[in-house]
Amino acid sequence: MAGQIPPPGTKMKPEEKFSSLLRDSRSSPPLPPRFQENVWRRIENAADPAKTESWLDALAVLILRPRFAVATAAVLMFAGVLLGTHEGSQAARHDAQDRYVAYIAPNTLR
Amino acid sequence: MNRSLTILFGALALGAVIFTGSYFASQCACVMRSSNPNDKLAWLQAEFHLSDAEMTRIRTLHEGYEPQCEEMCAKVAAKKLELEAALGNGTNLTAEVKQKLVELGELRAECQAQMLQHFINVSRAMPPEQGKHYLAEMKKLTLGVHESMEASMSAPASHEHGMH
Repeated sequence: MAGQIPPPGTKMKPEEKFSSLLRDSRSSPPLPPRFQENVWRRIENAADPAKTESWLDALAVLILRPRFAVATAAVLMFAGVLLGTHEGSQAARHDAQDRYVAYIAPNTLR
Repeated sequence: MNRSLTILFGALALGAVIFTGSYFASQCACVMRSSNPNDKLAWLQAEFHLSDAEMTRIRTLHEGYEPQCEEMCAKVAAKKLELEAALGNGTNLTAEVKQKLVELGELRAECQAQMLQHFINVSRAMPPEQGKHYLAEMKKLTLGVHESMEASMSAPASHEHGMH
């Protein structure tokens, strides 16, 4: 059985002795500080790539969502219609008033 | 990053097109629906919430006033022509020009008095509150033009007098 340390008193073959010596001389280097924490962070980052995206990318993703796009378009259209109707009725009222004043009080009288 | 920016600007442009398109379309539709160029009195009915019976009375008043107004307008226009002829190419203010100016002023005053009388008659054909509102509005629209002009002329003059 290779790698097994013979009990004291037993005779070792020379190659076994050499293997044992090599094993003992191999030193494991010390781990860098916060090694485990860094390993876990890298694992988490690899699992969730969206976390590294910028706010612009997040906004672009939001814009491309059909629900958000349709809702925004509807709100804009509604606001445009509301403002346009208000302005249109004001303009129509103003035109009608001008027509009446021009009819009742021509420029020569004013 | 570039793709995100393109999406953002594209969305903004599309949003602007949707908003302005719906704004102008609804504005045009509203103006076309509300305006009636043939009825010169449409504004009265809409603005003062008048009934059909009140509008009939007011229409009669306007029909009576129209020929008087046209006659006075013709007189004013003729007097203006006389004034222009009296002025000619001369550089002096002659007695004739002064006389024409006085006559033109008198005619305009007569016209304005007639117009104000018509406004009073129309206001009486309306319910009291609307009548008051109508009279105030018509004074502002017809006589207010001169008042604002006089105010603009007197403001710098008084300032200059204060300087001396």
